[in-house]
Amino acid sequence: MALCRGAGLLLRTLLPGNPLLFPAACRTQSSVSGVLVPWTSLTSPPWPEQMPPVCEVEDARRQAAVVSTVNGSIERQDYGRLFAVVHFASRQWKVTGEDLILIENHVEAGCGETIRMEKVLLVGAEDFTLVGRPLLGRDLVRVEATVIEKTESWPKVHMRFWKRHRYQRKMIIVQPQTVLRINSIELAPRLS
Amino acid sequence: MVFLSLSCWIRSRGPDRYWKIQEIVKNAKHFRGRKNRCYSLAVKAVRRAFVYATKGRRLKKRYMRTLWISRIAAASREHGMKYPVLMHNLTKSSVQLNRRVISDMAITEPRSFLSLAKVARARQQEGFRAALGDGKEPVGVFSRVVLLQ
Repeated sequence: MALCRGAGLLLRTLLPGNPLLFPAACRTQSSVSGVLVPWTSLTSPPWPEQMPPVCEVEDARRQAAVVSTVNGSIERQDYGRLFAVVHFASRQWKVTGEDLILIENHVEAGCGETIRMEKVLLVGAEDFTLVGRPLLGRDLVRVEATVIEKTESWPKVHMRFWKRHRYQRKMIIVQPQTVLRINSIELAPRLS
Repeated sequence: MVFLSLSCWIRSRGPDRYWKIQEIVKNAKHFRGRKNRCYSLAVKAVRRAFVYATKGRRLKKRYMRTLWISRIAAASREHGMKYPVLMHNLTKSSVQLNRRVISDMAITEPRSFLSLAKVARARQQEGFRAALGDGKEPVGVFSRVVLLQ
């Protein structure tokens, strides 16, 4: 008893960093076996342990059913109001029929001319959505708009001022603006 | 008696003082206190207002983006996903919608947002399957890990 206590003390002084000799981490008999490590957020991976099995036949069947339903409703033209996400003038706009868009720059078309917006990212109706990766085809969607008004913005003041340095600069910024009215969004039949 | 040199003593000391003052004070008409009337106080207040407007135009872009991100995060958590997972998987599926449009769709077009969340979830599962694989080593590789299992 004394011998083993002395040996233990000796070993502790010789190797103070050995965690197995620290009494707090060492249990001779316990119900939990194995390496005792506290449970942290990195103990188990963040995804669920069991992945759902992949059945390719069923997936293909479901996809074919969805595509045929959407094709049918497009051919019958019974989808109601369509909305589209269009990339125009370096911005993305969520657009429906008959709505107005204010663009903060000059558009190369005269007043009253019709414009077709070609970069369509997404088209949606009440029952289906067509998501482009990243764009939808030109023969699939047609978004038409008319140029209504070409004006200038109200004069914005750009002022810089440093206190105690006698520095101030004032500039008036007037930007050209264009107002577009979206006439219609049309879907062509035939999806693959 | 005729006073001929009286007319030589009349000077015109800047005929447009009123309009120069009005140019600045008209920008301060909706301010509180004497700075909406008195020129010396109005000059300082108007200068601060213009500088704050200039700085605010740059900050507005940052605030709007934060707002869109928090809205998308809230909407994706309703569908059991987190914001970084959703955006990362959408970019991996080459869907290049920006945060403004996705947050508008989360508010006004909930079903389309759900379809985007499903696209992201499917891409996430594909990524996990590709990463975890069958649990077997690739052909031609021999390692102790597989032997010991």
